[in-house]
Amino acid sequence: MTASRLFELLIALLYLAGSITYPLGLGLRLAPVKRLATWTTGIAFALHSIDLVLRLTESGADALQHGQFYMSLLGWFFIFVFLLLWWRLRHDFLAMISSPLALVLFSSSLAIRTQVLAVPEQFSALWFSLHVGTIFVSLALIAMAFGAGMAYIYLERKIKTKTKLPGFSKDLPSLDTFDRANHWAVSIGFPLYSISLLAGFLWASFTWKKVISWDPKELISLAIWLLFAALYHQRLSLGWRGRKPAKTAVLLFALCMVSLLGVNFLLPTHHSFRP
Amino acid sequence: MNQEIYLIGLNHKTAGVDIRERFALAEYESLITALAQEHEPITELMILSTCNRVEFLAVGQANAQIRDLILDSWASHCAQPRADLDAHTYCHTGEDAVTHLFTVASSLDSMILGEPQILGQLKTAYRKAVECGSAKVIVNRLLHKSFSVAKRVRTETAIASSAVSISYAAVELARKIFTDLSEHSALLIGAGEMAELAATHLLSAGVRTITVVNRTLAKAQELARQFNGTAHAFEDLPTALVHADIVISSTGSPTAIIRAKDMRDVLRKRRNRSIFFIDIAVPRDIDPDVNSFDNVYLYDIDDLKEVVEENLAGRQNEAAKAKGIVSEEMAAFMRWRDGLALQPTIVALLTQGETLARRELRKSIKQLGPDPDTQIVAIMERLAKSLCQKIYHEPISYLKRRSLEEGSAQRFIHSTQRIFNLDQEHVPSDAHLDRKNPVSE
Repeated sequence: MTASRLFELLIALLYLAGSITYPLGLGLRLAPVKRLATWTTGIAFALHSIDLVLRLTESGADALQHGQFYMSLLGWFFIFVFLLLWWRLRHDFLAMISSPLALVLFSSSLAIRTQVLAVPEQFSALWFSLHVGTIFVSLALIAMAFGAGMAYIYLERKIKTKTKLPGFSKDLPSLDTFDRANHWAVSIGFPLYSISLLAGFLWASFTWKKVISWDPKELISLAIWLLFAALYHQRLSLGWRGRKPAKTAVLLFALCMVSLLGVNFLLPTHHSFRP
Repeated sequence: MNQEIYLIGLNHKTAGVDIRERFALAEYESLITALAQEHEPITELMILSTCNRVEFLAVGQANAQIRDLILDSWASHCAQPRADLDAHTYCHTGEDAVTHLFTVASSLDSMILGEPQILGQLKTAYRKAVECGSAKVIVNRLLHKSFSVAKRVRTETAIASSAVSISYAAVELARKIFTDLSEHSALLIGAGEMAELAATHLLSAGVRTITVVNRTLAKAQELARQFNGTAHAFEDLPTALVHADIVISSTGSPTAIIRAKDMRDVLRKRRNRSIFFIDIAVPRDIDPDVNSFDNVYLYDIDDLKEVVEENLAGRQNEAAKAKGIVSEEMAAFMRWRDGLALQPTIVALLTQGETLARRELRKSIKQLGPDPDTQIVAIMERLAKSLCQKIYHEPISYLKRRSLEEGSAQRFIHSTQRIFNLDQEHVPSDAHLDRKNPVSE
């Protein structure tokens, strides 16, 4: 096993530790354990950043042609956005969702070797980074909105039906905080998602001389965009709050997972990660 | 010479409200002054008087009639017969007194287990005792200890973590709905006593403003003034609902005053901001269907009672844990107190030795003649001094060793005081006969 492999294993183990200790700290209602989880995730994130830079400097353009690099990058973005929201909302609850997602993505980036991606010859760094960067940030935001949405639905059900709140939910943030996470995710995530889609289509039109090629990935992305647009509109102009946006965010995330895992791995597409 | 800690008083368990109100002490500074300064046997005194208890914490001579002294003064201060007090008061001494004080401080003796109010009342009582100059070494230490015990119980057990009063439960729920209560305002519908209590809780929880709506505007204005809020006529209720986030309703209206169909319009104007209704009126003021709207939460008095009862059940288990902490801290306090008695004993012992040495030295120097050699006098002085130090060295270090052991310290200090007759009491030649008779207190 090479040194870099060991390094990557360490990162995965740290993410694993973070994913386990946070729910543990929440269940046992121990603030130090939760703090430990946040720190572990933070350290893993720092090492992960170094790992990404190393991969890029070692193999450069070659790294960009492998699906596993993108999965690792997406995992990194999940933590990045989590840290941003943590800074804004002053609550570590979203670690519940971001750490496991980062763990899954990072460890699968280690485990699988995908086929060489069909990154087009006329590779334009601007379009490419615009397309990938924005989609990853907005995916991470959708994941955060999903975590907050699930927690909202759970807590709201409990309060509405007047059932006893279990011990750990006393440490949960308020419904308001979850709704604010949704607000952030939607108002930043949707414009980014739109930019990404636009960049993708423009890039495709330069490369293949056609805007749309009826690829499964393109279709599901458009479907997600429509749902996202509806949520964005309802939330920002009609003043949707609470349960409806929470539910929509959950649905949105489910569609994204179908798009990411289902379409990229199973269907023939020019986004294929199929091994 | 021997000091004892007394705790004498009555509480909601030993006396009904009719007795408690007759013996409540609204003003007790004069009583402290009278008891602690004019009566020799009481050296330290603190009085705690709340609606659920009146208690005297006193330090005084072990054999003196402290209980009678206090009860007599108490009864005459309230102009009530002493006999009524005898039937309802308890008198704890020593360890029991310390345990009782710690139990009260950590709210294990309160009517509502874990209610935090008592600690503040105890702090006020202590401050008054300090102001009157009746809190000295032991009361100071006892009270500081009891505050830290209360803090330990609070942090190490879950006794105070859950809501036990209706309005407290409401505030806790509000915190689960809103992130920061200081960004939200409350609306009181009706100006009764319950509304007032709830408003106090909400304000102390940090709610930004309070608005009062009432059928009689004058009453609303009166209550609003009390909480630095604003008052509105009853007709303005729909507008008030648009601006308030926490609504507490307690009117005597026989029919619902907020109906589900009225809410639709309000919610639209609120742009779906969450609104939390607390309906403490019977019959209810708010249509239960209101709860089915998104972002609207409605709790009536029974829902809140349920929350309170669930929390109360949990508290009983925590109380056992808290009692463990109390007895642990009580033992620590008693150890400190035993050590306290050791210090004066050592000082008395050394002083006695030094006095004897000086007296004997003077006699010996006289025998040396009218003009003694200064060198010889110096040598004799050194001899007397070191002899006395050497002789007392062993008993003192023995006492110090014993005082580290639990329980036995008091006994050894007591024996030492008697062996060396540190109390300077006149001991009759037939004193040994006393041992056959139990010593009366």
